[in-house]
Amino acid sequence: MSSPIKSLTVKKFPSLLSGRQKKFKTGSTELPSGTDSARELARALHPDFQYLTVAEVIERAPDCKSFRLIPDSNRGTKKLAYFAAGKYLTVFENINGLQVTRAYSISSSPKDSLDGKYELTVKGVEGGAVSNYILINWTPGTEVKVSAPAGNFEYQPLRDAKTVIGLAGGSGITPFVSMANAVADGDEDFNLILIYGSRNEDSILFKDELDKIAAKTNKFKVVHVLSEPNNSDSDPGFEKGFITSELIKKYAPFDEPYSIFICGPQQMYNYLDNELKSLGLEKKYIRRETFGEVHNPASFSDYPSDVPDTVNVTVTICDETKTVSGSTSDTVMQILEKQGIAVPSRCRSGECGFCHSHLISGKVYIPENLDYRRMADKMYDCIHPCCAFPLTDIVINVPAAK
Amino acid sequence: MKQYDVIVIGAGNGGLTAAANCAKAGLSTLLLERHNIPGGSASSFVRGRFEFEPSLHELSGVGKEDEVGSVSNMFHKLGAKINWITENSTFRLVVPAKDGDKDAFINDDGVLVSVDARMPVGFENFAKKLDEIVPGSYEPAMKAFGLSTRMYEAFDALGEGDDFSGIFKALPYFPDLMRMTTHTLNEGLDALGMPKKAQDIFSTYWSYMGVPGAQFDFLYYLTVMHSYVMNGAGMPKYRSHELSLSIDKVIRDNGGEIWYNSEVTSVIMKDGKPAGVVVNGDKEIYAKQFICNASPDFVWSDLIGKKDAPEKQLRMSNARKTAASLTTVYLGMNKTKEELGIKDYSVFIANSANSDEQFAGSQNYDGNYCIINCLNHVIPDCTPPGTSMLFLTTITFDDVMKDVRPQDYKKYKNKVAKLMIEQCEKALNIKIQPYIEEIEIALPPTFSRYLNTPYGTPYGYRLEMWDSMIPRTIQFAQDQPYDNFIFCGASQERGDGYGCAYHSGEKAANIVIKSLSKEGK
Ligand SMILES: Cc1cc2nc3c(=O)[nH]c(=O)nc-3n(C[C@H](O)[C@H](O)[C@H](O)COP(=O)(O)OP(=O)(O)OC[C@H]3O[C@@H](n4cnc5c(N)ncnc54)[C@H](O)[C@@H]3O)c2cc1C
Ligand code: FES
Repeated sequence: MSSPIKSLTVKKFPSLLSGRQKKFKTGSTELPSGTDSARELARALHPDFQYLTVAEVIERAPDCKSFRLIPDSNRGTKKLAYFAAGKYLTVFENINGLQVTRAYSISSSPKDSLDGKYELTVKGVEGGAVSNYILINWTPGTEVKVSAPAGNFEYQPLRDAKTVIGLAGGSGITPFVSMANAVADGDEDFNLILIYGSRNEDSILFKDELDKIAAKTNKFKVVHVLSEPNNSDSDPGFEKGFITSELIKKYAPFDEPYSIFICGPQQMYNYLDNELKSLGLEKKYIRRETFGEVHNPASFSDYPSDVPDTVNVTVTICDETKTVSGSTSDTVMQILEKQGIAVPSRCRSGECGFCHSHLISGKVYIPENLDYRRMADKMYDCIHPCCAFPLTDIVINVPAAK
Repeated sequence: MKQYDVIVIGAGNGGLTAAANCAKAGLSTLLLERHNIPGGSASSFVRGRFEFEPSLHELSGVGKEDEVGSVSNMFHKLGAKINWITENSTFRLVVPAKDGDKDAFINDDGVLVSVDARMPVGFENFAKKLDEIVPGSYEPAMKAFGLSTRMYEAFDALGEGDDFSGIFKALPYFPDLMRMTTHTLNEGLDALGMPKKAQDIFSTYWSYMGVPGAQFDFLYYLTVMHSYVMNGAGMPKYRSHELSLSIDKVIRDNGGEIWYNSEVTSVIMKDGKPAGVVVNGDKEIYAKQFICNASPDFVWSDLIGKKDAPEKQLRMSNARKTAASLTTVYLGMNKTKEELGIKDYSVFIANSANSDEQFAGSQNYDGNYCIINCLNHVIPDCTPPGTSMLFLTTITFDDVMKDVRPQDYKKYKNKVAKLMIEQCEKALNIKIQPYIEEIEIALPPTFSRYLNTPYGTPYGYRLEMWDSMIPRTIQFAQDQPYDNFIFCGASQERGDGYGCAYHSGEKAANIVIKSLSKEGK
């Protein structure tokens, strides 16, 4: 058959092979630099870990403190990773020889991180293992290890409305303090109307800070809602009661769309779910931060009956296999941590997927609203141990803690 | 001290098939991956009620129901079950009209365009459609497919695989192969007498490999076109994560081990060649053989270092260019594809139809070039009722972001995404912005973080004329650094793409299996 491309010469072929080797000889014998602009940015924004020290402790309320953290160059952190307001850091602590982690939203302005400052604010949780440890033990000079900034609770200009109504409860105020600062600094461009529920005036966190930011910019406004006001809490600016849909309507723009961002305790989410229905907002305009672990799986209506109190968990991490026993009211992650086995974790709320593991055998209960797994994970028995409760003895493969 | 038969570094597509084939052959196999899930580019991520596909546009080699393609066949042989869904179109190219274009017309979207080519599957259909748009291009297109068909026959005849000397000896019998691999796509299409405008449409897939018509070898491009046009492409129903987890299972079921969150931080050398690796900075593990899915450049800079790196390997790294980087905007939409008016799975939108001009425009983010995909066209129920999912992709090279500081990153990302979205809105006369329910924006640093490659490229080294598939294949053995250390993945002979990477892993495994059986393992 005659070739349709006869006009192209075949003669260039032999030199193709020798030419390639010649071309290689022109390359330098230097070691490739191992760095480029994309890698530099990725590393600056997402270091594996950040090593910090506590520089200052600020008492916010009797059970709540803010910690100013600065980079510890002796341990390898020269600069803090920049972040979008709303992100959290996972704190790694070693308490009585047990490795634990907790997520805390950064409460300071992103701009402050350029001057080497992050602020975390921790509120004591009754019976809480880590929050109370931090409140007692973190003092100026304490060495702290944290993750890179993480999470998806942030303003997205292409997705969100120009005005955000922030609904905060208790320590859920922290990401909003950062957002308010970012708005005032020009780091973010949106209007933030913060509706903040507290018990009474004394329990309001960041009151002065928020007022100061509001005085700086007309893009930020705060409304305090007190559920159990004292007689002396007579500021006419305070709202009384709970955050209701009526209250939201009162402060929301009436002639343009707005987004609602929610951060607070689980009870607040449950309550707001109902309230928000009556506002008839599109799903895209409602965003919520995950806020911590679930406990007490038996309280979920679809939790099976006849679950034993304790089960065995056989875990393989790389080349080590161990069997431990634990309570079925703990997550797989908690069971392992309580036995001194470190597990990869970030959000501890099912969402980030960092703890992704393989369930080899046995059954677990995963509350449906925390099941953020990928579809294929379900086909291949992959689970997120931070929100999976064992129902039987289980065998599980977990990645190395990082 | 435990010694594995083989350690595979990296669980990208190449590393996965490498480890699966080794484990299946009964070798004690350890796959080490720095990330917490398998796949590299091939995974998925969840935002709200959407699960996004991070990278796969279309996978050739899936075949139709009755015909098994090379990729689906490979999964089948491994014993991995995939829910394949095939696709019945190739691409649509839309070029909005420039001022003064006398041939411009208004298309059925109501947009004034210079080119609007919606190309079907099947050689005959494709050539006819091309001829409709540019008269006189039927014959040249059919000749092109005739050439590519003969090339596949040639590859088959040579038992395409490990026997390079076979290919080498057979080359003189394939003058067309020699012609095609030493001439560019543009030269080849010229030789076939294809009108220029038809050449532009024919070259639309250049960005899948990142090399435009004047630099891409004719042979490789034709084989790529062939595989997409012949049968159309396919997708796994549950995103690429399904592909990766299915191979992960094959590895485990065959006694292989996979350690996630386990980054190889250095290679232990003994007598001038690799003997083991260090994981996460402190754990030493040993093996007889190594297959490496990690970027060669970073293997030399981060894992082995100047003292032990063969001089030739350093020269190779330095002489080659990094392939393209990608930027993708993932959008979960609160409207259906019909409500949005998105009529195709895959639309390439460009300010010029010409691949070389598109390439020239890719040195910056300037809203000149964007591919928009709507997965619901292939997998109708990939999102909840009343919604749909889009991803927008553009291509850049090297240092586009060198002046972007960490504190500017978020604003920069959003600026780039806005440009891309607006370009699609204009070219298709649709509205996207008001209906975005979820958005994620991945720029080269994002891919750098997940893939750990130079400039975050998923494509390996640039497939320039001098360093394209045929010379890479023939010189594969001499390209490898040590007799017990083989690279696999996009940096190797076939370059980027899921299918190519899967094949490269399989090939590396076969070499390792052979050499261990020679040793009388
Ligand atoms: C993204 C994110 C951001 C966050 N940001 C902040 C922040 O900025 N500031 C802040 O203060 N917190 C924040 N949190 C919450 C924080 O991470 C911790 O959850 C909190 O500090 C409590 O930790 P703990 O160890 O003290 O309590 P835990 O030990 O986790 O215990 C929590 C509570 O559960 C109860 N409990 C334990 N077991 C059971 C059971 N079986 N049944 C019923 N109840 C049980 C305990 O008694 C205790 O009251 C954030 C969480 C997330 C996910
Ligand atoms: S730690 Fe985030 S999903 Fe488990």
